[in-house]
Formats: sequence, structure tokens, C-alpha cells
Amino acid sequence: MSTFSGLNTAYTGLVAAKAGLDVVGQNLVNANTQGYTRQRVTTSGVPALSSAGLFSGGVRPGQGVTIDGIQRLDDAALDARVRTTTALSGYTNTRADALATLEQSLNEPGTNGLSAQLQKFWSAWGDVANQAGEQAPAGVLLGQAGSLVTQLQTGYRSVDDQWTTLRASMDGMASDLNTAATAVADLNGRIRSALASGQSANELLDRRDLLTASIAKLAGGVVRPNDDGTVDVLVGGNALVSGTSTNLVKAAGASRMADAATDPARLEWAYRPGAAIALEGGSIAGAVSTLAPADASGTGGVLAEAAVSYNAFAVTLAQRVNAIHSTGATPTGATGLDFFAIDPTKPAALGLSVVPTGVGQIATGTPGAGGTDGSIADAISQLGTGANAVDKQWSSFVVRVGVASRTEKQQSDLADLASSAATNAQLASSSVDLDEENMNMLSFQHAYQGAARVMTAVDEALDVLINHTGLVGR
Amino acid sequence: MISRVTNATQTLNAQRNLQLSLQRQAQLYDQATSRRLLNKPSDDPTATASAMGVRSDAAATAQYQRNVGNGDAWLTTADSALTSVETLMRRVRDLTLQGANDGAMSPEAKESIATELDGLKKSLLSLANTTYLGRTVFAGNSDAGVAFQPDYSFTGTAGSTVERRIGPDTTVRVDADGAAVFGTGASSVFALIDNTVNDLRTGVNVTPRLAEIDDRMKAIVGEHAEVGGRQTRIDKAKDTLAVGANALEGQRSSLEDVDLSKVILDLKTQDVNYQTAIAVTARVLQPTLMDFLR
Repeated sequence: MSTFSGLNTAYTGLVAAKAGLDVVGQNLVNANTQGYTRQRVTTSGVPALSSAGLFSGGVRPGQGVTIDGIQRLDDAALDARVRTTTALSGYTNTRADALATLEQSLNEPGTNGLSAQLQKFWSAWGDVANQAGEQAPAGVLLGQAGSLVTQLQTGYRSVDDQWTTLRASMDGMASDLNTAATAVADLNGRIRSALASGQSANELLDRRDLLTASIAKLAGGVVRPNDDGTVDVLVGGNALVSGTSTNLVKAAGASRMADAATDPARLEWAYRPGAAIALEGGSIAGAVSTLAPADASGTGGVLAEAAVSYNAFAVTLAQRVNAIHSTGATPTGATGLDFFAIDPTKPAALGLSVVPTGVGQIATGTPGAGGTDGSIADAISQLGTGANAVDKQWSSFVVRVGVASRTEKQQSDLADLASSAATNAQLASSSVDLDEENMNMLSFQHAYQGAARVMTAVDEALDVLINHTGLVGR
Repeated sequence: MISRVTNATQTLNAQRNLQLSLQRQAQLYDQATSRRLLNKPSDDPTATASAMGVRSDAAATAQYQRNVGNGDAWLTTADSALTSVETLMRRVRDLTLQGANDGAMSPEAKESIATELDGLKKSLLSLANTTYLGRTVFAGNSDAGVAFQPDYSFTGTAGSTVERRIGPDTTVRVDADGAAVFGTGASSVFALIDNTVNDLRTGVNVTPRLAEIDDRMKAIVGEHAEVGGRQTRIDKAKDTLAVGANALEGQRSSLEDVDLSKVILDLKTQDVNYQTAIAVTARVLQPTLMDFLR
């Protein structure tokens, strides 16, 4: 056993304590870095040298401490939970946002909505019934009918605009997804070579975890680790990232709501156009489901369904008013006239228009009952009340949107709650605690001081041995 | 397992709690300033449906109230015209009775009676053509401008009445039947007076005309009573609609409007909650071990 091995043992202690201090420093300066996972130096004691030979008796102490590595204190299960909950919250958030915007555009209940305008329209018919054949109430009626048509068109257009905006933002989300996937593939390569050369890849891993979480928020996805330190990211069962290669996606489908029925909005692989990716979650899935075309059972995409409801309401309004109006006679006796017309080349809500332009073209009375009869106008004014009122169709649509929006908001709140609980659990395990790091700093400081003291002690012992041996009595 | 608490989780939780607290406060502020509980359908879909129904009913009631006002004016016009007609008819009867007094009447006296009767006929004809807002109240839905032409023909159509809606299933007739009041053509009150005048001038005794005049008076009074009856219905409807409109406004308010005292109390409580949260957060996030290591 070497005389100087004590010095070396103390030296390894100094190195280990210094490495510990360095890692504490790294932790402390990154305390507020997003996605940073705390690290620890792992050390182990060096065993005593094994000795062979006849005179090698005696017990020997260990040879100091070695630094095994810098451990990254993450938890794969918690990371996976964060990803799945984020995917769900991305999905429900997009849907809840779309519904909230939709219901905002309805302006109901209140004095600015379509129902208020409908009531004004029916009242105008009542006034025409009171003064059939007069210019003033007929003018008011035509004005109110014009406002009603305009409001219906505005409502339809706002749904159409919302669809177009969401479709455009889907393009943006798809390109975000591609960017994140490319970055993950790039990091995969760097992590692999870092690990292969025995370096620490902790900070790269942090960045990759952040990216996979943002992929999960956009498109769900499963992260599958490989043996060489790389990860594969699967979306809809197929690899978005596989090792260092990326399969790009793109948002496809019609860019206008009118064409969405034949060419629905979807996310597809750039190398396989035409086949939609079956997404499990994420905001792109939320956008795809919101943009879906309407179907027969009324369970299609909310925006397309809203447009269908607008059209159906326009058709009902025109049919019910025309059915009565065409049986009436104008003050001059003309019969069989329509009040509303629908342009068949456009969606019904946009194609709706008012036919009469003056009092002479409004059929107010029963034919033969006299020029100032208002019974037909009165009958039309009654379309707004009773069990079979035209208004009911509108209010049931409003309530449908309200219920859907409320449900989606609750689901979104729940998903947010789950997501923040998962994030909290992840942070609880991986985030830097300043107190803890301070304590570690103290202990490493003391360890350093201790090792230095051992070195001094050995040094003094050697001093005694070398400089003072044989000087007894001098 | 006790979850590890770090500065990061503490900060995150504090942030989230403050955010929640602020959101609740903003919602209450919103309610207190707009004084509306229902701002969008998803606030309460059921109440939204009810509120829209109530608003629609209120709009219909407002229209019925306007109809009632219009009908009331029609009936009042008809009523006052009929009152004048009755006064004139009594004068016609008096004059005819005088004219029937053959022995005491000189032809000159009879001529003066005849002249006055002629004048009364003209007044009656103009009363029969009484209008409200340009519409003749005795000619139903006719748009001829007059109820009786100079040849005493009636311009109205039989069975075509002027109705005003006072409720979802109720209408009230607001015109008076000119044909029933005045008669038409040769059997009209105007022809009757013409005949009486003719009789007076040609020296025929007019006593038989008295019975005809009485019959006509009966018809007029009968129609007048009917107009009065409808006036009562309209008045009744006016009261009912006013009460109904009030009740609907009450329902609307209870569905859509906030209870202000409750909101203000909630707001005050929320204010205290928020301030407490801020104060506690400030204390919790402050100290670290570094403050105590020297």
C-alpha cells in the first residue's frame, strides 16, 4: 500500500465534491428554465485494491470515490401522463373555443339576436293587418323583412368565416407539427451520438421532452423509446418520427365550407395523399372534428351543422310565410304571390330575399273580401306564436348550441384540470427546489472542506515522517 | 407517497389559484355591471329557451296592445257616429210626426219640414261615410272611400268584417255593419227619408212612414248596442293585456337579470378572497433557505 494513497483518496473526494457543486450550480441557474429536469451526481466508493501474494495480509481501506455520472431525475410514466392529458386538453379546448365563438355570434338571448328581429317582423305584419293597403306600415314591414334577411345572412356568413379561419389555422398547426417533428428527429441524432461517446445528454433530453409534449398537444401521439436513446413518435399508428427521420404531414381538404361535404378537412401524410390520419387527440383532431361536414343525424361538425340549421330555418321561414301569403290578394286583387324567394344556386340562408318592393305587391287580404282586408297579414303575424311557431325552430337551434357549448366547456375544464394535475405531478418530481439545492450545496461544500482537511492531515503526517524522523533529541 | 413540493410547483399553484380567483371576480364584475345573468346561451340553456319564449310572448302581447288601441279608436268612432245618427233619427221621427198632422199643416209648413228632412238626410249620409284614418267604419274592408254611394248603394262586402286580434286565438270585430244600420239602396234610411219628403210635398199622409222609421231606429239601436258590447270586450282585453305584459316582464327579469344584492355580496366576498390569496401568496413565496444561511 502506497504511502501516498491517502492523498489520492482525499483528491477524489475533492473532485467529487466539486462536481456535485457544479451540478448544484447547473440546477440553481436553471430553476426557472421551462422543461428543465433536475440532475444529481451519482458517485460510488472505490473499493480497496485487491492484493495477491504471500505477504499481502491486512485490511485495506477503499481508494476514494468515483463519479459515475450525472443522473437526470425524470419519470417516464409521469411524462407519458402529461402527454396524454395534454392531447385531450388540446382537443377539447379547440372544440370549446369554436363553440364559444359560434354562440357569441348568435347574440342570444337579448335585443340584438335573430329572435328579436323575428318578433319585429311578426309585429310589422300585425300593423299591416291593422292598416292594410296603407303605405306606412307596409314600408315598415318591408324594412323589417329586409333586416331579418340581412341578419340571417350575417349569421350564416359568420359561421362560414369561422370555418375558413379555423381551416387556415389548421394549416398553421400542421406546419408547427412538422417543425416539432423535425426538431425531435434532429435531437434524436445528437442524443444518440452524445450517449455513444459517453457524454451527458440531459439538457438535450429536456428539450426533446418539451417538443414531444408540444406534438402531443397538437396531434396526440405515442412516444416509444429505443435502446440507443432515440425515441419514435407515432401519430395515428404510423411513425411521425422514427429515429433521425421524419415523415411530414399536411392539412388537406377543401378550403371553403361549401366544398367540405365532398372534400372534408383532414390531416394526411405527405407521402400518402388522400388518406386521413386517424388522430387520437390534440388540437388538430379538435379542428378536424369541428370542421367535419354535416350529416343526416345532425351529429357532424358543429360549424357545418350550424350552417345547415341556418339554411333549414331560412327555408322554413320562406315556406311558412309564402304558404299563407300566396293564398292572399293584394289591394288590387292579384293573388298567388310569394313574399320570400330563395335563390337555388346559393345556400338557402344566403339566397333568401324579399320579393315585394311596395305596398301593391303585399297580399294582405282574403281574395274578394275588399281591398283593405288584413286577414292574411294577421294570419302571417300569428306564425310567430303558438305551439308550431317559426321562432321555435330558431330557439331550439340556439338551445342546441348552448347545450353543446356548455358540455364542451365542462369537458375542456375537466381536461385542463387533468392536464394541470399531470403537469403538477411531473414538476413535483422533476423541478428544482431551491432549499434542497442549497442544502446540497452546503453538504458538498462541507464534503470539499472535509476532503481538503484529510489532505492536510495526510500532508502533516508525511511532514512529520519525512522532516522530523531521526531528529529526536537534536 | 407525499408529493414533493418545490418552488416551481408552489409558484405554479399560486399562479393558478390567483388566476381562478380573478376569473371568478371578472365573472361577477360582468354580472354586476351588465346586470344580466344570461349573457350567452351556455350560461343556462334551459333558462335561455324560456327567456326566448317569454320575449316572443312579450313581443306578441305588445302587438296585441297596439291592435287593441287601434280597435278601440275604430269602435269609439263608430260609437260616436251612431250616437249622432240616433239624435238625427229622433229629429226625423219628430218632423215626420209633425208632418203627419195633416189638418194643422199648411203646404208651406210641410215644405219647410221637407227641406229640413232633406238636410237631415244629407247629414245622415255624411255620418254613414264616417272614416277613421281614411277607412270608412261602416263599410267593412271596402276600399271605395265611402260606405254609401250617392245612389245609396252600399260599397261593403257581406261577411267581410274588420277584425282586430286581441289574443292568440281571439279577434274582435271593430267595424259596424253599415248595411244593418242604414239599410241599402231602396230600403235604406236615405231612401226612406226621400220617400217621406216626397210624400210631404205631394200631399200624401206620412203616418205609415212612422212605423218604417221606428223599425230603422230599432236596427240602429241594436247595432249600437252591439258596438258597445264589443267596446267592453276591447276594454277588458286592454286591462288583461296590461297585466299579462307586466307578468311577462317579471318572468323575463327573473330569468335574465341578476339579483343585484346577491351579486354585490358575492363580489365583496370574492374581493376579500382575492386579497387574502394575494397576501398569502406573497408570504409563501418569499422565504428560501438562502435568507437564513450566512
